[in-house]
Amino acid sequence: MLIDARVLELVRAERRDEAIGLLLPAFRRRVFGLAYSLLRNRDAAEDVTQDVFIKVWRALPRFDGRAALSTWIYAITRNASLSALRARRPHASLGDPDVLDAVDAVDPGPSAAAMAEQAALLRLVDQLPTKQRQVIMLFYMEEQSHEEVATMLAIPVGTVKTLLHRARATLSAAVGNVSANA
Amino acid sequence: MSNPDSELDKRLQALFGSLDTGTGFDARLIAHLRVESQADAAGRAIRAQHQERERYREELLQLKSWRRSTVRLLTLDTLGISLLLAIAVAMAWPHLSRDVADISRQYGPNIVTLLGVLIAGVPLVGMWAEQSRRPIRLL
Repeated sequence: MLIDARVLELVRAERRDEAIGLLLPAFRRRVFGLAYSLLRNRDAAEDVTQDVFIKVWRALPRFDGRAALSTWIYAITRNASLSALRARRPHASLGDPDVLDAVDAVDPGPSAAAMAEQAALLRLVDQLPTKQRQVIMLFYMEEQSHEEVATMLAIPVGTVKTLLHRARATLSAAVGNVSANA
Repeated sequence: MSNPDSELDKRLQALFGSLDTGTGFDARLIAHLRVESQADAAGRAIRAQHQERERYREELLQLKSWRRSTVRLLTLDTLGISLLLAIAVAMAWPHLSRDVADISRQYGPNIVTLLGVLIAGVPLVGMWAEQSRRPIRLL
């Protein structure tokens, strides 16, 4: 990848700050999304994102370009998220007020009805098994790229497709039921 | 009639498509890294200082040991030279003229005393020179 070569070049020139300046816009959303898909809490995901970039910054001098940067960064993110998950309260959910605030921040002016629909959909996503929930969130965050989601979660592309299919089927059925009951 | 799956796609896209960190995240992170970078530089400076102090201490020890061996050698040399000088004087004594013999007889005790002071003085001067040197403080 082009960014990997450039980062390696900067690291070899002992210009770590510039390397982070390149990595931050390229990976910030993905790192945050990956952390958020596991932690389901905006503040915790931001803390993990910051922690990940600090760890990356510290470890950059050891980066030799043999592994892809993305693989390395996602591995750090997964580990940091799991550590954060173990350290914090066990029953966080996407339906938490802070998550709903996050939805509100994404779309600043939804109507009350749209907000309620979004909250309902979030709760449905929250009820999915962890891997399905992660795949759904990352797939729709990552412009629907199966390959990128597979790299982020370190699972095969085929597994991503299967998990996505199951999650969408569950959500479709649930949304239909919610609409029918409304 | 709209496709329900496509409707679901749209809703999920709306929900997660713009998910991102809050405003000011990059600035906070860069500020944090700057602090980290300064701490890192300070840490490296302290490590370099420790290394330099250690290197200086080792060199000082080496120098001290060299001085000690020099003083030891000097003492042995002085003794050897004195011995050779005494032998030389004893061997040359019968061949010296009466005048020299008279002068020697007159100043003999003084010359021997002076020689004794010299022999005893050289190691003392060496030891004094060694002890009077203080290590240079780096900080």
